This record gives sequence, C-alpha cells and structure tokens, in this order.
Amino acid sequence: MNIVGIDIGGTFTDFVVYYRESGEIRFWKELTTPQDPIEAVIAGLKEVDDLNLVEKLRLGTTIATNALLTRRGANVAYVTTAGFRDIPFIQRGDRRSHYDISWIKAKPFVERRNCFEINERLSAKGEVIVPLDEAEVRELARMIKNKSIEAVAVCMLFSYINPQHEVRTRDIIAEEIPGIPISISYDVLPKWKEYERASTTIADAFLKPVITHHFKRLQQRFKEAAIESGIGIIKSNGGEATVAHAAATPVQLALSGPTGAVVATRALARLTGIGNLVTFDMGGTSTDCSTVVNGREHVTTAFEIEWGIPIEIPMIDIHSIGAGGGSIAWIDKGGMLRVGPQSAAADPGPACYGRGGRQATVTDANVVLGRINPDYFLGGRMRLDPDAAFTAIEYLAKAVNLAPDDAALAIVQIANNNMLGALRAVLLQRGFDPRDFTLLASGGAGPVHTCDLMRLASIPRSLVPNSPAQFSAFGFIMTDARVDKHRTVQQTSNSFSGERATRAMTNLVHSAISELKAQGYADNIEIYRSIEARYFGQNHELELSFPANEFNRDSLRDLWHRFHEEHNGRFGFCIPGEIIETVNLKVVAVSVLKKPEVRQLPSQVDKVEPRGKRQVRFEEGWVEVPVYDRDSFGQGCRIIGPAVIEEAASATVLCPDQDLLVDCFGNLLISA
Amino acid sequence: MDPVTMNILESTLVSICREMGIVLMKTAYSTIFSEALDFTCGLADMSGDLMAVADYCPSQIGGMPLLVKCCLLEIPTSDIDEGDVILHNDPYRGGLHTPEHTLFKPIFVDRELMGFSVAIGHIQEVGGMVPGGFCGEATEVFHEGIRVPPVKIKKRGEDNVEVWKLLLANVRTPRVNYGDLRALIAAVDLGESRTVQVIRKYGKAVFRETIRDLLDYSERRMRAELEAIPDGIYGFKDYIESDGVDAERTYTIEAEVHKFGDSIVIDYAGSSPQAKGPINATLGVATSAAYNAVLHMTDPSIPRNSGCFRPIRVLAPPGTIVNVDYPGPEVGGNTETHPRIVGTIMGAMADAIPNRTMAAEGGTHSNLVFGGADAETGDFFICYDIAGVGWGGRAFADGNDAVDSINGNCRPTPIEVFETRFPWRVEYLAFDTDSAGAGKFRGGVGYTKQMICLNDEIICSQMTDRHVFAPWGLHGGKQGGLGATLILKAATQEWQNMRQAFGKKSTSRYSNVRITKGDRLRLVSPGGGGYGEPKDRQRELIVSDIKQGYVSLAGAERDYGYSEGTA
Amino acid sequence: MRFSENGLYIERYIKCGNCGVLIYEKKDQQILTHDGITYCSQWCIDWKIAREKRRGHALLRKVRGRDGER
Repeated sequence: MNIVGIDIGGTFTDFVVYYRESGEIRFWKELTTPQDPIEAVIAGLKEVDDLNLVEKLRLGTTIATNALLTRRGANVAYVTTAGFRDIPFIQRGDRRSHYDISWIKAKPFVERRNCFEINERLSAKGEVIVPLDEAEVRELARMIKNKSIEAVAVCMLFSYINPQHEVRTRDIIAEEIPGIPISISYDVLPKWKEYERASTTIADAFLKPVITHHFKRLQQRFKEAAIESGIGIIKSNGGEATVAHAAATPVQLALSGPTGAVVATRALARLTGIGNLVTFDMGGTSTDCSTVVNGREHVTTAFEIEWGIPIEIPMIDIHSIGAGGGSIAWIDKGGMLRVGPQSAAADPGPACYGRGGRQATVTDANVVLGRINPDYFLGGRMRLDPDAAFTAIEYLAKAVNLAPDDAALAIVQIANNNMLGALRAVLLQRGFDPRDFTLLASGGAGPVHTCDLMRLASIPRSLVPNSPAQFSAFGFIMTDARVDKHRTVQQTSNSFSGERATRAMTNLVHSAISELKAQGYADNIEIYRSIEARYFGQNHELELSFPANEFNRDSLRDLWHRFHEEHNGRFGFCIPGEIIETVNLKVVAVSVLKKPEVRQLPSQVDKVEPRGKRQVRFEEGWVEVPVYDRDSFGQGCRIIGPAVIEEAASATVLCPDQDLLVDCFGNLLISA
Repeated sequence: MDPVTMNILESTLVSICREMGIVLMKTAYSTIFSEALDFTCGLADMSGDLMAVADYCPSQIGGMPLLVKCCLLEIPTSDIDEGDVILHNDPYRGGLHTPEHTLFKPIFVDRELMGFSVAIGHIQEVGGMVPGGFCGEATEVFHEGIRVPPVKIKKRGEDNVEVWKLLLANVRTPRVNYGDLRALIAAVDLGESRTVQVIRKYGKAVFRETIRDLLDYSERRMRAELEAIPDGIYGFKDYIESDGVDAERTYTIEAEVHKFGDSIVIDYAGSSPQAKGPINATLGVATSAAYNAVLHMTDPSIPRNSGCFRPIRVLAPPGTIVNVDYPGPEVGGNTETHPRIVGTIMGAMADAIPNRTMAAEGGTHSNLVFGGADAETGDFFICYDIAGVGWGGRAFADGNDAVDSINGNCRPTPIEVFETRFPWRVEYLAFDTDSAGAGKFRGGVGYTKQMICLNDEIICSQMTDRHVFAPWGLHGGKQGGLGATLILKAATQEWQNMRQAFGKKSTSRYSNVRITKGDRLRLVSPGGGGYGEPKDRQRELIVSDIKQGYVSLAGAERDYGYSEGTA
Repeated sequence: MRFSENGLYIERYIKCGNCGVLIYEKKDQQILTHDGITYCSQWCIDWKIAREKRRGHALLRKVRGRDGER
C-alpha cells in the first residue's frame, strides 16, 4: 500500500511518499501556509503520482502546539471541587530561576472569573464525603450558557480513584448545553497531583474547538479535492490515531513535531537489529536527542508548554538543546567563548550564506575546517561563500587570541559540548551506559558532527541513515497506531492487594485495546505493561515492566526484587527489606501497521573511488582526505577514515581512527 | 586562560552537580527534600572554595563555602582518607540551621586530594522538642535537635556504624532519616566518581589551572556588574515580630550597603542583639542572604563559585540576630529571617537599581510541622508543610502571586498527595481577595489553606512570620496583607489564634500544640507589598483585578480611589 | 575557636567582633585584639572604628525603613 506522510511545520510542510510497487521513497517540501495550513497540504499532494492508490495519509501537525503557544484557543470554563478554583493559579509554587526578579508567573489557559466551584468531595480513598450537588451543576451550566464559554474543563479532587462525580457533571452539562466540548480529568489524565491534572485538562478543553474545526476543514477540503485515502493523525507518543479520536482528546497532539526522527529510529532498530540507539537530530537552530532501548522508544509525561504550565500527556522523551548549524559564536563580558543559544536561523543565516549575516556560526566554522563543501551545499543547489565564513571566524579569533582555524575548531568543540549535555541527559541520567549504544545522526548537520560526538560521549558506534536531512519525515511512514493509558493506583508492598491491582490492570488493558479497536485498529496488537514504583517515602518513581494482568505472589516477589536491582543500578544503592510503594499503572497498546519495505542496496562490486580530495582540520591537525559520493556506495562497501562522504543534503565526516561500513539498506555504520 | 577548556569544564562540572541533585531528588524520603527541592549539590576545591554548584535551593548556595571551610579548619586534610564521607549540621560552624545536614566526600586522584563533592539537604526530623524540627519556642540549640559536629559517617568506603546508631537513635523517624542519609551519600558518591573521571581526562595540572581561571573569570564578571551599580552607602531597616518566647519584644534587621568601585560590603551592624527564641540567623545564613541579594542584583549567567563571591564582604556582628552565638536557637533563621535580610538589602538598593529590586515579598514559608501516629498502622508520621506567598510589586510589573519565598524555590505538596499521606482533609485552598499591597504595581496575593484534622491527635508546631508586621511597600506602595494561623476547635464557634487557644507567647512561632479530631486549622499566607503610588495604577489593571476577583470593589474604592462610574 | 584539651568538644566559639567570622587558633589565622575585643584582621578593626565615627552623626544619616513607607 502506498503511504504519504505530511509534516506541517512552522516554516515548511514536509512530504514523503512510499510507492509499494517500486519500493521508492521520495521527499519534498512546500512552504507552510499559516493562514490556512491545508492549502500547502493540498498543493504538495499534487506531487504524488496517483492519489487514488494512496491508502493512508499520515498527518503530523504543530497546530495544537501553536494554538497553545500563541494562546489562541477556546474560552474555557473550569469546573472543580468547592474550595479549589485557584489551583490553576497557585500552580506549583516555584519560580523559573533563582535570581531573576523580572520573571512573571505564567498564566493558565483559563480566566479566574471563569473558574467555578461545585459542592462535592471525595476522600483520599475515593469515598464520597459530600455528594455531588446536581442542582448546582445544572444552575452552573445554565449560567455558562449565557456567557461566551466555548469549552468546559472538569477536574475534581481524587477523581482518578472515583470518576463518578466528574462523569455525572459532564453529563448534566452536556444535557443543558448540547454540543459544547467538555473534557473531564478522568479521561484526560487519571493520575494524582491535582495541578498537573487540571492544567492538562484545561489545555484539552482549550484545544477542542480549534482542532475540531481544523480537522473538519481538512476532511471537507480533501473531499473537494477528491482525496479519499484514510487519514492517520500523529500524536505526541509517536503513534497514529484516527481523526475522530485525535479530535476527542486534542491535548495528545501538543507535541508531535520532533517525534518523526524517533519513530524512524525505532523502525531502523527493527530493520537492522541494533536494539539500543541514541539519536541526535541536528537542525539549524536546535538539536533533539532521544533514545530507543531494546527497540522501544522512551515515553515521558513531563512536558511543559511554557515554564510552569505542565501538559502531562505521554510523549516521546526528547531532550532539546539550542545548538544547531546556525548557532552563533560570541564572546561574553568575561572573555569566555560561547556558542548559542541564539541562532542566525535561515535569515540572515550563517555568514557563508551570503545573505548579510556577519556573525560566525557553527556552519561557518565547519566550512573553515573543510568539513562542509561550499560548492556542494544542498546538493549543489546552493553555493556557500567560504571567504565570508573565514572573515567572520577571523574576527572572533582575534578577540580570543587564536588562529582562525583553531578558533573554528574551538567553536565546533563548544557546540559539541553543548550537544553532549543533551546526550548525557538522555543516557547517563537514566542510568544507561553509552558503550551499549549506537549514535544515530540525523538532520542536515548531524552527520557532520557525529564522529566528534562519538569520541566525546564515549559511544563506540554511529549510524547515518539514508537521507539524514529528511529522517523525520521518513518516520511518518513508519508509525504504528498507539494508545497510552496511565492510572494512579497507589498501594504499598506491606499491604498490597493483588486483587485490586489485577482488576485495575485488567481494566486498563481492556480500555486501551477498546480504544484501538474503536478506531478500526484491530490487528497485530501488542501490549506493554509497566508500573511506576518507589521506596515508601521517596517522591519519584522508577518504571518497571510488568509481564501480565495478574498480580500474584510470584509476580509480586519478582517485581520487588527487580525494583531493588533497578534502584541500585540507577542510584548506586538500594534498601533491602524496605517498603515499596506502587503509584501508577501504565499500559501501552500498539497495533502494528504494515510497514514499507526498505529497499536493499546492490552489493559493492568494484573498489569505490573518491571523487576528489581536500584538506580537513581535525583535532590532530590538517589532513588531506578523500571525498566520496554516497550515491556511489553499494552494500558491503568499506571506507577507512579520515574521509568525507557527501550527499544531497548533508555530509558525513569520518575521523582518522574511525571506519565505515555500508549495510544492506545503505546505512553508514561508523565504528571507532 | 584557555577559554574553550574553561567553558567546557564549567558546564561539565555544573552538569555533575545537577546529576547529583537528580539522584537526591529521586531517592530522598523527606518531602521537603524531594518534592520541595530543599537541597544543594556542589563541588569544592581542596581549600573548600566552591568550584561549581547546581541551582536547587538558594539558601544553601551561599552557605556552602563557609561550611566546608569550617570543617577543613578542624579536620586536617591529612586525616581525610579516600572513601570517607563527612557529615555535620552544626549551625555555629558555618551551618544554616539544625535540620540542614552537610555531607562531603573527598575527591582523590592518584592519592592526591583534588577537592570535595558536597551535598546539603534539609532532613525533616532531627529529634529535639517537636516532631519536624521547627520548635517555635526553643531557647537553646539543645531543644532543636541533635547537633552533629563534623564526623565521618563513612570511613574508607564503609559505614561508620557507631555514628549511624547514634544518629538514628535520636530521631522519631529512623527509617525516613536512614533513607535521606543514604540519598545524600549516593549524591556525593556520584559527584566524586564523575569528577574523578573529568580530572583524569584533563590531567590534574590542567584541571587545577582551569579551575583557578574559572574562579578568576567569575570574579571579573561580578566586579564588572558591581562597578555598574551607582556608588554610595545605602541603608534600610525592617522589623520582626516576637521570637516565640518573649511576648512583647520586636527585633530589627539593619543592612547598610557600601558600594564603591567594583566591590560591595554589606554591614548588618545595628541589627538587634540575638533573640531568646529561634528566629536568629547564623553567620552562614547572613552570608547566604547577602549573596542571594547580590545575585539578584547582578547578571545571573555568571558561573556561581567562590570567585564571584570574592568582591562581596559580609559583616555580621556576633551575638546579634544575624550571627547568633552558641547556644542560641536558630532553626527559624534559615527559613524566616533569611528572606527578611534579603528584603532589607533590596529595600536599601531600591533607588539605586530599581529594575532589580522589588517591594517586600511575604518572607515566610509558613513552616507548619506536625507529627502523629497513623490510625491504621500505628506508624509515626511527620510532615513539614510549606506555603507560597505574594511577592513584591516591582518597577515594571505586579508581584507574582503565591510563590515560595526568596530564599527557597520549593513546591508545596499537592493536596492529593498530602491527604493520601496524612490524616487531614483540606477544605479550601484559595487566594485572599484584597491581600495584595496596593500600588501602581500591586503586590502578589497571598492565600489561605483551611484543613480539618481526621486523626485522634496530631502535634503541631509552627515557625512562621508576618502576623504583626506586614510586607512593606516601596515608593508609596501600600503594605501587603498579614499572615495568620487560626484554630477552630471541634464543636466551637470561634476562630482563635495560638495565644488565645493555647496561651502561647506568639501567634506565629509556637511548639507542640495538640490538635484533635474535628479541629480546624486555617493558615493564611501574606501578600506582597505594592510598588509606586496607587493613584498611578492604570485603570484597566484595576478593572481587570476586580473582574478576576483579586481586588474587591470596596477594596478598589478604598485603596485606589476607584469608582465605577468614571471612565 | 577554643577546643577542649582532649579535642572532643568546643569550649568557646571565638568570633571577630566586626564581621563575625569564626577565628580558629591555627597557623594561618590572625587573632588581633583592640579594646578588649577580638578581631580577624586590621581591616575589621579599622572598619569598626570608621563605622562608629560615622554613626556618631546618626541624625544626619538617611536610613529608609518601614516607617517612611506606610
């Protein structure tokens, strides 16, 4: 089946198409049309040979993120337990920085005068202390009807244990105001900690009208354009959902942008058999890092749309850092050389773009060091000005008393060190050993830096995929359908009710599968269960996988044992015999969708010849290296470093002590 | 100076401190430690100077260099072995207050001492007169809890069991304390092993040289910042209500800031003699508060280490409320007096650098501590409950609502976690209308938490402030609302304060009151002071405040001269 | 700082009368006295004298405090 992936970004809308018969995968771009994003989509789809043969259109969009960032969404009414309408305003109580008097606390997505209280109360065990005052709810609904409220968010204390009151409140409001979008916290995020839950639920309500409208227009325009392919919407967990399902809980779309690279990595993991990969996707302004462990991506819920406003939806755990090809090198008031986070972006861009940029950037440094070929940028479609790069670098070099190429090297080293911070965050801070991983380089700038990062981060292997600059878009044709379900079911090991846990887990699995099936994903379902637990008294949980629905003596004993081990591995100590508290149950249900078959390369027959050579500066000094054309490689081709491998939208640099092997799919496998 | 290596080394060391903090946060037991992030992790060089620190809790960052140096003056480095971990909490030797425990571990490379890995954390329960550490009526350090001089809690990699036994025998929650200490040790272990790797990578000589350059660099940056502040002598005074022991006496904090050229002296002479009760600050706190204020007034991107503190001199005369002498009590000094000192310094500098100062913030953490026996299991529980306050209005904006005071950066426990753990039910948690100090830019609002006791008995103590002296305004701005602690005993009609209900000397600092089932507690936190004359406030802002419920119509009429009719 | 003979406890905490730092009776630290008060350095002695002189004119000194701010 032919698949098209569409990624609506801030500047560009990226397209990828996979033709099953020929096995061809093609990439192209359109400029995003922010007024009406679907325009660009329709325009781009004209490039596809025969839309009738496209079974699935996968759509990733930043519409939800943008709505949240620009605060253009619904006028929300927030309904909560009497006495607690200020939870969204009190927030967590801390501040963004210790020493910044200019910080202004973030505003929630609801106005205080639109926050309403209802007489009801559940205890910490979910028992009804004050029954829901239904008359009050009705009266409130009637009052809301007369205001300009466009969506309702309901969040009541302890609803994650007992949703009765929230459900009933929703039903009454739906009766009184038919058609108004309503989000209840039990549906959106049934976990404890009322502020995070409220914030996420409010965001969901805030987005509902915007997203619903957007998708309606989408479906209408597609119909007009006679596009009949099925549509899959990419969520922040990297999985696909139907339009209806995505519109029902739009907060799940809050961060779907960078997921493509990670999904593509996971697909590559399965293809190549390399189970542990750490990815870094290096673009012009920022670098995104993530991990795939044992073939599975890591999903987190710790996301904030801005500092202090959490949106705790399951999303692929990506650590971003303001370091990219366009990052500007500068000298601070104390004479220290710094790189980023400001970026020259695309306009004016690096000095070598010749668009009026004067400041030295990482790209300029790479040109001066001979790593980027100024005559072959973007496959020859754009010429870079090496003199402009040199001038910009030289200016900086004088200020730090270094020779220009030493200064260029310093800039690259500092940029690499910044990226190392992100790599550390996703590896070491989660207890992983870099030596067990392969570094996957993507984004246009990634393969230029990967050889250095391997050394810096002590990662012994690297992989550069085909078309690294479009790796994200490639991910879009490799997604599965995925549902994440979490629930707080708090218990301690010294008084654990296996029955209660089994019931909760069974329900969670059941609801995850139902959600998949309701969307039409009924085949190849895989279930992953896990539990978040901690020593009783601690406040942060470790996640442990769990094999089945049932909690019996054996599986529990094994769970406690694994917890102690995991704690010891992560933190260097454990407390044998200590009480363990289980907090959250998690279920991931995946319906594995049919994937494109990735073509294999023909074998390398003759010895591959470089197409030229040039001087490249490494830490060791200037070395003359051969320059190869990636398109000339076949399966099994072997290159010994130092070398540079060029391709249409990127270049791979190989350090003197490294070598490279081309695998059957065309991936470049680098090892030290 | 090698600018590249210095940049990379600095960010690597800060990164190590952050990782230490993550281990601490994820494994510590006391909620004040892990939920509220009341701890700090740093790396010190061989002389105890700070090389790098991660931004967790501001109150300890300034205290750290003093703490380590004091220990090093007592324990000769020849007596320190690889694998040792030293613990102390002595407030008079650089400490901040009894609950704050400092652990540090020597970093040896090839048997040469290169520095120390340090972690400071607030351990919730320390023995003493009340569960939870904050005994509002303590008159000597012996009431406050176990005082630990510098001792080795681990010797050459092995637990020093005798020390553990002594520590755990003197606290109400040995299980929790054990967990907290293990967490602190794990953090310093991590700091040590990672730093060893870094030193091996660069070589000892290059490492030492680069650190020296880094400290000099920070000093240069700080001097440049200080130079930009107008020269002069600036003074300010603030007042603190009773000390929990003397019913009538009040106390003065005075700060005189001498800013000349590229250095600054903060002189606290004129501050009251030390109090009988535990509102006294130690030298560590007074120093920390001075650094805190200066860091607010200068570029926060300057790498924080002993270098950037060199141009700052702190003068805290002994025997005063800012430098308590042994055995004077000091548990409240770190949480309640520290922010008042910072506020006083900011008040002094308000005209010189208006964009980096503000009117008074609430200046308290509420600090309700309680303990009791769990009705089902009989286990003893302890909690240290904090609350946010309104912050001061500033030259360019209103003060923030409900944020933790300036010497901390803590998150109060969520209600759902609080009620799952402790036998209370929270009846409401809401902003107090009209609690913001009026001004061109108003202060932030305070809020109230009201809760009802579900247990047979809970013993409560508190160490808070601002029941008598409200947060002051600047340039014509009005005071913020007062804080309060009130109790409504079961089956009665009248709310009372602690003086009325239990005969305590102070309403804000008291120990060991017995709360029983059905009793209600109301904790009111103060609002921030206003900035500028209320008559200069933009009408739209007043209208918005009324619409959103922060200010009542009556309040607007009274404080701003607002009337609905006029446009 | 005065330790007991056996080194097991502190007999007296000795502080500088001006800046308040602990003074240990060790090689690198000075203990100066002036008018019966202990100081850590000449700088502190000089400062204290200067301060007392300055504050002698207390009425002329402009100190802002809470009183002026209501």
